[in-house]
Amino acid sequence: MKRDRKPVGMGKGISRRNFLKAMGLGSLALPGLHFTAVPSRSTGTSRFIQGWPAELQTMDPHAKYDVTTEPIRLNLYDHLYRYLDNPPKIHPWLAESYSVSEDTLKWTFNLRKGAKFHNGDEVTAEAVKYSMERLLALGLGAAALFKPIIDPAAIRLKSRYSIEFALREPYAPFLSIIPTVSIVNPKVLEGKAGSWGSEWLATNEAGSGSYVLESYAPGIGFKARRFKDHWMGWKGNFVEEIELRTIHETASRVMALMKGDIHGGDGYLPIDQIEKLEKDPDIKVYEEQSMRICVIRMHNQRVPLNDVHVRRAISYAFDYDSFIKDILKGRVARNPGPIPNNLWGAPKDLKGYTFDLKKAKEELMKAAVKIDRPLNIHPMTGFSQTDDVALILQAGLQQLGVKVNIVRETWPTLSAKAKDMNASPDMWIHWVSTYYADPENWIGEMYSSSRWGAWKASSWYKNPEVDTLLKQARDTANIEARRTLYEKASHMVVNDAADVWIYNTKWYGAYRKNAKGLRFCPVGDGTEFRWISLV
Amino acid sequence: MNRKIFSYTLKRILYFIPTLLGLLLLTFVISRVIPADPAALVAGEMATPEQVQALRHQLGFDRPLHVQLGFYLQQLLRGDLGKSLYSGRRVVQDLRERFPATLELTLAAMFISVFVGLPLGILSALKRNSLLDHALRIFTVSGLAIASFWLGIMLQLFVSMWLGLTPLGARIGVPAPKLITGLYILDSILTGNGTALLSALTHLVLPAITLSFSALATITRFIRSGVLDVIQKDFILYERAMGLPPKLIVCKYLLRNAVISTITQIGLLFGLLLAGAVVIETVFDWPGLGLYAYQSIILSDYQAILGVTLLAGFVYVVVNLIVDVFLTLIDPRKAEL
Repeated sequence: MKRDRKPVGMGKGISRRNFLKAMGLGSLALPGLHFTAVPSRSTGTSRFIQGWPAELQTMDPHAKYDVTTEPIRLNLYDHLYRYLDNPPKIHPWLAESYSVSEDTLKWTFNLRKGAKFHNGDEVTAEAVKYSMERLLALGLGAAALFKPIIDPAAIRLKSRYSIEFALREPYAPFLSIIPTVSIVNPKVLEGKAGSWGSEWLATNEAGSGSYVLESYAPGIGFKARRFKDHWMGWKGNFVEEIELRTIHETASRVMALMKGDIHGGDGYLPIDQIEKLEKDPDIKVYEEQSMRICVIRMHNQRVPLNDVHVRRAISYAFDYDSFIKDILKGRVARNPGPIPNNLWGAPKDLKGYTFDLKKAKEELMKAAVKIDRPLNIHPMTGFSQTDDVALILQAGLQQLGVKVNIVRETWPTLSAKAKDMNASPDMWIHWVSTYYADPENWIGEMYSSSRWGAWKASSWYKNPEVDTLLKQARDTANIEARRTLYEKASHMVVNDAADVWIYNTKWYGAYRKNAKGLRFCPVGDGTEFRWISLV
Repeated sequence: MNRKIFSYTLKRILYFIPTLLGLLLLTFVISRVIPADPAALVAGEMATPEQVQALRHQLGFDRPLHVQLGFYLQQLLRGDLGKSLYSGRRVVQDLRERFPATLELTLAAMFISVFVGLPLGILSALKRNSLLDHALRIFTVSGLAIASFWLGIMLQLFVSMWLGLTPLGARIGVPAPKLITGLYILDSILTGNGTALLSALTHLVLPAITLSFSALATITRFIRSGVLDVIQKDFILYERAMGLPPKLIVCKYLLRNAVISTITQIGLLFGLLLAGAVVIETVFDWPGLGLYAYQSIILSDYQAILGVTLLAGFVYVVVNLIVDVFLTLIDPRKAEL
C-alpha cells in the first residue's frame, strides 16, 4: 500500500480533521460579510427600466446609426431638431429656428441660448460644427447620409449661436436628416483616447440630453439619471433614473415584464407574445402604426426578373390576405406601395396588387422571357416571419409552375451581397425602418438608380422618368410640390412592380400599467424616456 | 518520478505554441473567407460603395491575406489583440470584462456536474438494475437529450416566475462587488460584501444548473460505466474476500481506478461547457464571452473573433493539461506514454 501512495505525489491528502478545520475557518469568515437592503424589483417610482433585445456595442452616437442605438441618442444627447409623436413631426430642439435658401443649398440654424452640456459648458454653434465634422471624419453610421452632400470645409460659424451648412448639391430632405446628428461636447473629447476621442466615447458620453450617463456595461446596458439643468426643464413627476437592460431572448423579456422586473419591452414582439401580454392585467399594450415596411426585393436587372410581366406575375402570386389575416392575425396594415401609408407622399388612391393567380398567369403569358430556372428567395436567419413570407410566395408561384428555392442567410451577409449587382439575390425579404421621416428614406433611397450600390437599392430598379421625379423631389424645398412628385413616382414604381410590398408594421409596445406618459414616435420607437412617469 | 511528471508537463506546455498557432491560422482564414463584408457592416446600412471601399482600405481589409496575417501576428507579439470594429474598444479590454463571467458560470456548472454526477454515477453502478438505476438512466438520457435553451426557459418559468425563488436573468441585481478577480462570488467573499454574494449566488444558480445538466449526465454515465468495469476485477474480489468493509473498498480501491476515464472526460467537458455558455448566456443574459463571441461572429468582427478563439483555445488547452497532469498523479505510468 505504501508503494502505491508515495510515488503518485498525493501525500496524505486532506485528512478529515484538516477538512473540518478548513470548513470551520471558512464559516468563521462568513460573519465578516455585510448586508445592505437593496430593492431587487422595479417597484419604485424613481427608476424606469426598459428591456431591450439588442446589445449596445458602443455608446458613441456617431459610430452606429440604427434602431437599436436610438435610446442612447434620444436620452443622453440632444439634436438641433427632433422628431416627436406619430406621425412624426419635426420640432425645434437645440435650434430655435432655421432658414434655407431658395435653391436649398444653404441651411442656417439658430441655436437657443443657455442650453448646457452635462458638465455645465454651454451648447454653442462651435459644438454643432465639431459634431458634424466628427461624424464626417469617422465616416460611420449616419455619416453616409451627409457625406455625399456636405464638405466639412463648407460648415461656417455665423456667430456663437448660428451655423450655416452649404451643401454640394440641392437637398430638400436636409432638415429631415438633421435629427440623426447628436451634438457632442468638444471640450470633453479633447485629448481623449482614439481618433476624435472615439475609444473613450465608446463607453462614456459627452452630451446635453435629458439624462446623464451613470454606468454602462457591455452586454448589460446603461443607467442614467435625470439632467437637472436640461434646457427643457422638468415640469411634472418624471422618472429620476432610467435603465436600458439588455435581455436577448424574447421569452425572457416577456417574463421579466410580467414579473415586474422591467417596466417596458420592445414593440416588435411575436404575435403570440403580444396576445399573452394583452391578457395580463398589470400590462398595457399600446398599438401604433409605425413606418417599418416589409418588402420582397426583386433583382430588376437579372433574367427573368428584368421582365416587368414576370415581376407583376410574382406580385399577383403572393397571398397578401392570408399572410396578414391568418399568420399575422391582422396586426399589421397592408401597404401596397414603397412609402408607408401614414407618411405624406404615399398616394391615397394606390391600389397595388392583390392575390390573383388568373392575372398572374396572364402576365406570364405576356412575358418576353421564360422562367427556365428556379428562382431563389432569401429569408433572414433568425427572423421567422421572413420564412413565412418566402413559403407563401413559394406556394403561390408553385401554382404557376415556377419553382422557388428558399435559402436562409444572415442579415450581414444579405445586406453585404445587396450592394453588389452580381452578388445580389434574385429575391430577398427585409423591412425598411424609419431612419428619418421623409419619403426619401424609402422611395428615394430604394428606387433612384443614383443610389445603386446601397443595400436599400438592391432591386437595381431603373426608370429614367422615376429618376427625374425623385431628383426633382430632392431639389425642391416646397413640400406640396415634393408630395406630388413622390405620389407620381410611387404610382410608376408600383406599375413597374419593382418589388412586392406587403405591409406596414404596427408597433405593440408593452408597458407595466404604472408607467405613464409614453410618447411613441416611429423614429426611435418610443425610446425617449423623458416623458415617462411611474405611479 | 516527480522529474518525469515535470518533464511531461514541460513537454505539454511546449505543445501549446503549435496548437494555438494552428488554431489562430485556421480561425484567421475561416473568418476571412466567409461571405460577409465587415467594412460594409461597420460603415453602416446607409453607406455608399465608395464609403465602404474607403473604410475597407482604412481597415486594411483590401490587402492580401498573408499581409493581413503578418500584421496581426506582429500585433499579437506586442500583446495587442487589436480593436473591435464595432465597439471601438480594445479586444483585450472586452475579454477582460467578459471572460470572468463565463469562467464563473462554467466553474459553477462544472462544480455541480462533478459533485452531483460522481455520487449519482457510483450509486447507479452499485445499485445496478435497481429502480434507482433505472430512474437515473432516465435522468441522464434526458440530460443529454433536452435542449439547454428549452430547459433554461422552463426553469425560468417555474423557478423564477411561478415560485419567485430566483431572478430571471442577469449576473447580479445589486452594485457589483469591488473588482478583484472579476468572479463576483469570490470578490464578494474577499470584500466581505454579503449583499453582492447573495445576489450573485441567486443569479448564478439557474444558469449554472442549466449549463451543467448535460455534463452532469455525461459524468454520471461515465463513472457508472467505470465503476461497473472495475467492480468485476480480481483485486476487488480479493479485497472483498479479505473482508474489508464495503465503504473502504469503494472509496479507497474502486474509485481510484474507476475515475480515470471520467477525469479525462471532465477536461473535454470543460470545453463543451465553454461552448455551451453561448446559448445559456443568451437565455439568461449572462454578460460573458459566449454572447460576445456570438455577436462578433454575426457582425464579422474579425479582431474580436480571433481574440475570443485564442482565449477559448488557451483555456481549453490549459484545462486539459491540468487534467493530464492530474491523471499522471493518479496513474504515474501515463507520464511515460
